[in-house]
Amino acid sequence: MGLTEQQIERYSRQIILKEVGGPGQEKLLASKVLIVGAGGLGSPAALYLAAAGLGTIGIIDADRVDLTNLQRQIIHFSDDIGKEKVASAAEKIKAVNPDTAVETYLERATATNIRGIIKEYDFVLDGTDNFPAKFLINDACYFEKVPFSHAGILRFDGQMITVLPGRTACYRCVFDKPPPAGLVPSCSEAGVLGPLAGVIGCLQATEVLKYLLGVGELLTNRLLVFDALGLQFREVKVSRNPDCRICGQKPSITELADEEQAVCDLKASQ
Amino acid sequence: MAQINTAFQLPQSIRKDTLAYRQKLKVFLDGQTTATAFRACRVPRGIYEQRQAGEFMVRVRIPAGMVFPGQMKRLADLSRTYGNGVLHVTTRQDIQIHELKIEETPDVLESLLEVGLSPRGGGGNTVRNITACPRAGGCPDEAFDVRPYAIALSEYLLDFESSFNLPRKFKVAFSGCSQDCTLASVTDLGFFAHENDGSNGFAVYAGGGLGSNPRVGVKIEDFVEVDEVFQVAEAMKRVFDAHGDRANKHQARLRYVLDRVGEGEFVKLYKTQLEKLRQEQLQTPAIRQISSTSNGGASSTARPQPANGYEDWRKNNVLAEKEPGEFTVRLRLDLGDIPAEDLEAIGSLAQTTGEGFARTTQTQDLLLCRVREEDLPFVFERLGALKTEVVNTAGPKLVACAGASTCRLGLCRSRDLAKAISTELRKKDWPIQLSSEAIRISGCPNSCGQHYISAIGLQGRAKRVGGKLVPCYVVLNRGLAKEAQARLAEQVGVVPAKNVPALISAVLKLLVGRRKEQQSLESAVADAKEEIKKLTAGYSHIPSIDEQPEMYRDFGATVEFSLAGRGPGECGAGVMDVIRLDIDQAKEALNNAKASSDAKGKSNALYGSIVAAARALLITRGLEPSKDRQIFAAFSEHLIEPGWVAKETKELLDQALDYRLGDTDDIGHLEEPVGRMLVRVEELFRSLDANLNFRVEPVSKQSPKEKPPRDAEHVIDLRGVACPLNFVKAKLELEKIAVGQVLELLLDGGEPVANVPASFTEQGQELLEVSQCGECFRVKVRRVD
Repeated sequence: MGLTEQQIERYSRQIILKEVGGPGQEKLLASKVLIVGAGGLGSPAALYLAAAGLGTIGIIDADRVDLTNLQRQIIHFSDDIGKEKVASAAEKIKAVNPDTAVETYLERATATNIRGIIKEYDFVLDGTDNFPAKFLINDACYFEKVPFSHAGILRFDGQMITVLPGRTACYRCVFDKPPPAGLVPSCSEAGVLGPLAGVIGCLQATEVLKYLLGVGELLTNRLLVFDALGLQFREVKVSRNPDCRICGQKPSITELADEEQAVCDLKASQ
Repeated sequence: MAQINTAFQLPQSIRKDTLAYRQKLKVFLDGQTTATAFRACRVPRGIYEQRQAGEFMVRVRIPAGMVFPGQMKRLADLSRTYGNGVLHVTTRQDIQIHELKIEETPDVLESLLEVGLSPRGGGGNTVRNITACPRAGGCPDEAFDVRPYAIALSEYLLDFESSFNLPRKFKVAFSGCSQDCTLASVTDLGFFAHENDGSNGFAVYAGGGLGSNPRVGVKIEDFVEVDEVFQVAEAMKRVFDAHGDRANKHQARLRYVLDRVGEGEFVKLYKTQLEKLRQEQLQTPAIRQISSTSNGGASSTARPQPANGYEDWRKNNVLAEKEPGEFTVRLRLDLGDIPAEDLEAIGSLAQTTGEGFARTTQTQDLLLCRVREEDLPFVFERLGALKTEVVNTAGPKLVACAGASTCRLGLCRSRDLAKAISTELRKKDWPIQLSSEAIRISGCPNSCGQHYISAIGLQGRAKRVGGKLVPCYVVLNRGLAKEAQARLAEQVGVVPAKNVPALISAVLKLLVGRRKEQQSLESAVADAKEEIKKLTAGYSHIPSIDEQPEMYRDFGATVEFSLAGRGPGECGAGVMDVIRLDIDQAKEALNNAKASSDAKGKSNALYGSIVAAARALLITRGLEPSKDRQIFAAFSEHLIEPGWVAKETKELLDQALDYRLGDTDDIGHLEEPVGRMLVRVEELFRSLDANLNFRVEPVSKQSPKEKPPRDAEHVIDLRGVACPLNFVKAKLELEKIAVGQVLELLLDGGEPVANVPASFTEQGQELLEVSQCGECFRVKVRRVD
């Protein structure tokens, strides 16, 4: 396909990298990434991926921009309040980089729609804020064999892991199932420091680029835990669980189902 | 293979290469290589496509201009069997076979090989035919016979693959004296024979050349011994190879290296190479003296009584040689053309008389040398029997390039003008002097007709009068090829093509009465300089198309003069001239607009500027609309839409059209956008390459479908590109070539050359060379991964 003169200039600082070069850049321009949730994590990830020259970014989110979102969801601006989040995010992505195509899905990810959506993508970035959604993404990605980056943030802490379904430890290998409702506070009860979303969202974007370019060591079989107050990163070694209910030797989950847990109060949090 | 008499021995490598050509053509005809790739294969083998698509020409090199009877017969046979039956002698002593089909070219090449001929290096970026004085060996003025050196140097250089992959063409000429019939003073490498204290040697000049940016060569050696020609030529070839600009075909010839680095540095580069070569002990071919191969048959036949016209012929076409009793016979060919049967007949004649072979000349004639006086009547009789008129020739010699009738980019039909001049002069009874001096005509500024070194030269040009194009010629005077005194002709005026024959006739009439015995034409022209200027001015008026429509048609053309259809070709200098005209007009109008205090006048001038600016580049897309509306539409489609010119210009054109249609009264506020449009148009104009592609980047991200063709070699010119974008571009280029191949970059000094090579090393690529050439640097990198 070849890069245009403008593209060469726009991406020059990453083309320079030995690990990227022309072929790498062309690969990015031909890749598709789905971001589930245009919130705290999805915002910085979407902007950086667009800036890097991702060919297509898909965004799925059913909500509208709320004043409380603006403290950390940096893809949305004050004027966007009341606008659909997917529309607001698509506008910003286009403004950052007209090369990037945007697919928007104004819906909630559910067991019935998610597989049909993610199978169109090369990688999925989990930017959701609740456990059932995270398990849903994990399971759907397993069935469709699409790699994904899981992450979660709360108060001053974040965690993330990259999953290559069927090859590396999955979210269920580590956590099995969502905690009982009310045990873990959701964002609206606990609060969250804005830049924490930036730190973790950017790390997720980094994983996306590394995966697409096929360079470096992915955050697989390691759960990264970030403590903003102590400013410490910690790694927890994990491995595939032979008894995992989805990717184990005798899986009990054979089809997608929505998990039973009350989602957090999205109106107030995300 | 039949043993053929010849002086020049084709190197084995050329034989092998010729036999390999058939397979290369087959691969192309089977569709396994592209036309562009095959072009790169055939052109250096001297096989060119003619203006008519599907017709090919083969340019056969004739070293030192010596062509032998067996060769002449074979050339004639091939032309009759495969071509159009007419051979063509070029100004560099080659002989061309025209109108061949590509499928036939392997047969032609292999057949030529049997008689020791080859078109290898007849075209492309190669060492071209090495020329020598057409009368060498017999000329009374020569210091010594230069042919053995031209022949041996050909044998030496042609044996190297490097001679066929230079930055551009490389021409070498040998002159036996300072008179310079071979134009050695204005060629890439020119040798002048001198005797010094009893030993023979050469003064050497380099970096000369005609073409669109002509210059006279500079002296690089006062005197070298004759057997050093190999080292001298090889050294200069290496300087050219290392420093010639491979990225820009426009500025690739050796003279641009000379311009770029300056004379002192140029000579130093050469001397450094020469020193290296002196250590190297070159393997050089033997230098063999040329002897007569005639069977002397003519002298044993009954001698005919001199027939009618014999005395005139002797006076006009026979010259005494240095050996008493031996003569040179000139066969004046009309613009270098000779029918196949005549060439064959001349071959048979040469076999029995003179030195046993014929010569081709730089004025596109043939010579028979060393003809004994008693054989002259026999020669006269035989020449009289030829189909071509070579006996009763009159008027000055005319040399012309192929011109717009066959050359894809010629502006004017130079050959048709030459014929018109001949016709005009035949009306008069001119006293003729046998000399190599000629009136030289080029159809465009590229100077294939060598008008720059002509005492009287003509160069095609187009002028615009009332929106219509008129074929014109620039009249040039006082050009001269001569050792140490070479000078390029100067312009004395521009006249419409249709007035040229009358002007030439008037100028010659003026000179006939003035020219002193033995005075050169150049000096006679110099004496009459002011009068010629006045005469030229008198013929320069161009009447309106209604008064004299024939002024708007070129010679040999039935339709109005137009540049439409002139497409990319070898060169675009003629078209450049016309574009320049429009740009100048646009600038002038813009200046008038700026100076105008009256609103109406300002708007009108701006409108004129927009039209001229919009029209300027359309010719490069093969278009020549005449109506303003069509001009705007074409500009929009071919320059704005593909992204060459900013989109805002579309609005400018719309407003101009509104003004034209009376929807707006005032466009005075458009001064700035018109200025911007004009700047961009000029920028695009300056970037045009030989194929009329723009070499700058488009303004919008939509890139045009047709990218400028990339040179076969992996070369990228990054001069003027700042860090780190230069590295980015170089890296992208390197990624396109295969592992193990080499990319060559041209970089600016300072930061670029400090950073880019180091960055490649850092990323694991192999840095082969960083060398300075003039103000820039050449860097070679091998792709390792």
